[in-house]
Amino acid sequence: MATPETAVPVAPVLTDNQKLRGINADYTERYGFHDAENYLYKAPKGLTRELVAKISEFKSEPQWMRDFRLKALDHFLARPMPTWGSPMLAEVDFDDIHYFVRASERSERSWDDVPEDVKKTFDRLGIPEAERKFLSGVGAQYESEVVYHQVNESLEKQGVIFTDMDTALREHEDLLREYFATIIPPNDNKLASLNSAVWSGGSFVYVPPGVHVEMPLQAYFRINTESMGQFERTLIIADEGSYVHYVEGCTAPTYSSSSLHSAVVELVAKPSARIRYTTVQNWSTNVFNLVTKRAIAETDATVEWVDCNLGSKLTMKYPSVYLMGERAHGEILSIAFAGADQHQDAGGKIVHVAPNTTSNIFAKSISKDGGRGSYRGLLEIAKGAHGSRSKVVCDALLLDEQSRSDTYPTIRIDNDDVNVGHEATVSKVGDDQLFYLMSHGISEEEASKLIVNGFIEPITKELPMEYAVEMNRLIELQMEGSIG
Amino acid sequence: MTTIIDVCPLSELLPGQKRLVRWEDLEIGVFNCAGTVYAIEDRCTHDDGPLVEGEFNEAACTVECPRHGSLFDLTTGKPKTLPAYVPVDTFDVIIEHDTIKLEVE
Repeated sequence: MATPETAVPVAPVLTDNQKLRGINADYTERYGFHDAENYLYKAPKGLTRELVAKISEFKSEPQWMRDFRLKALDHFLARPMPTWGSPMLAEVDFDDIHYFVRASERSERSWDDVPEDVKKTFDRLGIPEAERKFLSGVGAQYESEVVYHQVNESLEKQGVIFTDMDTALREHEDLLREYFATIIPPNDNKLASLNSAVWSGGSFVYVPPGVHVEMPLQAYFRINTESMGQFERTLIIADEGSYVHYVEGCTAPTYSSSSLHSAVVELVAKPSARIRYTTVQNWSTNVFNLVTKRAIAETDATVEWVDCNLGSKLTMKYPSVYLMGERAHGEILSIAFAGADQHQDAGGKIVHVAPNTTSNIFAKSISKDGGRGSYRGLLEIAKGAHGSRSKVVCDALLLDEQSRSDTYPTIRIDNDDVNVGHEATVSKVGDDQLFYLMSHGISEEEASKLIVNGFIEPITKELPMEYAVEMNRLIELQMEGSIG
Repeated sequence: MTTIIDVCPLSELLPGQKRLVRWEDLEIGVFNCAGTVYAIEDRCTHDDGPLVEGEFNEAACTVECPRHGSLFDLTTGKPKTLPAYVPVDTFDVIIEHDTIKLEVE
């Protein structure tokens, strides 16, 4: 068993006159707007037993879910805040959060029925347009609840369920209950306990055996109000031999006070199924993003997490895959941009439980303007997982001397018949690279862009085209006018 | 070598009750699920949590680790939820002359 932990020192990279513009420099105009608050209900700040019971009552939930919430609240209150991760965690003020805000009566299946202000927001974010062009289904969550949900009719006929979790609890209670909180129990960690107590919204996906959902399903999460807590919960079950790609995105207005986003995401890939889960996290920089994501992959199944973290004040998120069945495969592609006052503590975990399982973790981080990017990962190979193979690669790119990168890889191996590789690099946009490119007639600015694009290309090529384009746009923006 | 140890009279562990038994360096949780007695090692395979201190669901015949919430099937020792994925050791239970006994090694 080996548990190496290395802190990579800061390296000076660009000189003062080579300062780069921040990523998301146009965030305010694109995503930072906010609507008037015409809410049906807005809970006062703070978390109480009464509020938890009230959320359950609002949703007319069965008794078992109400009990589940209240028990989770006890766990949350009993547990201390984690002391590892980021010092910024200590800034989370659980008393200064609105835990439940209802903006709409129900989840609609037509955009025309969504409240006007809310619809305008999603129009501005391009969601209905994206739905028409390249998605199999869309869910749109605004504050605590999903306001719109629709899935392609032909998929529905094939038995695909794509709905919000509140509706799933009403309409598919038995199926939901079989898997709900079995991957992430309510007292798995303090933030999962919090989510379990106050969860609201999120997606429920079930793909029947053999069904391939060719175009992605997408969920978009929007926070509008100040000091908001958003606690969606997502459960995806891909039955035998099925395939689904789920994509989620998120944004929020920028406020001086902090908001909290704490989701729980559970994935179940049955034998020979494949789930790809793509996240483009672009919260405003006043949002604490503390998320638990975990998957199981049964025999011959594949689970892939493509996790892009651009926004938030602090993100702590380590998507994980438990390879429970023989020949299961797990893949984690993680990319993080840490700008001024941001800490992206990201990475992933793979646990090889069954024999002949395989996995890859590829993590990339770019830090600039004093931002901090951390890779934190676990690779565990259990006693019975003989013949397993895994490769972990984490690379960091530092763009200036104020920024920081840390790597915390943990590897536990309880079987000697395995093949495990681990590589970590820290690089900088160096003078020699710039000189080489400039000697081919490329400007310094273009050369820097090329280097950054080349660095993240292994991840962006895995994104759906529209997201890859968006990612490249953000990079372009970052580098614009940055040199000289 | 198998040894048989006494736990307690059956009348002292009624349905829905549980107790901790120590034998040499082993700690064993003994649970009465609706009249059938089961015994498992009192150590969660995920993070060594003390299972006897967790919530015992007599109807489902499960115990929940108080540390991170893994739910164990008392009849098999297998975890029904993550984060634990390795079964806990189980022990054969013998009821003889109204006394609960365990087979340990």
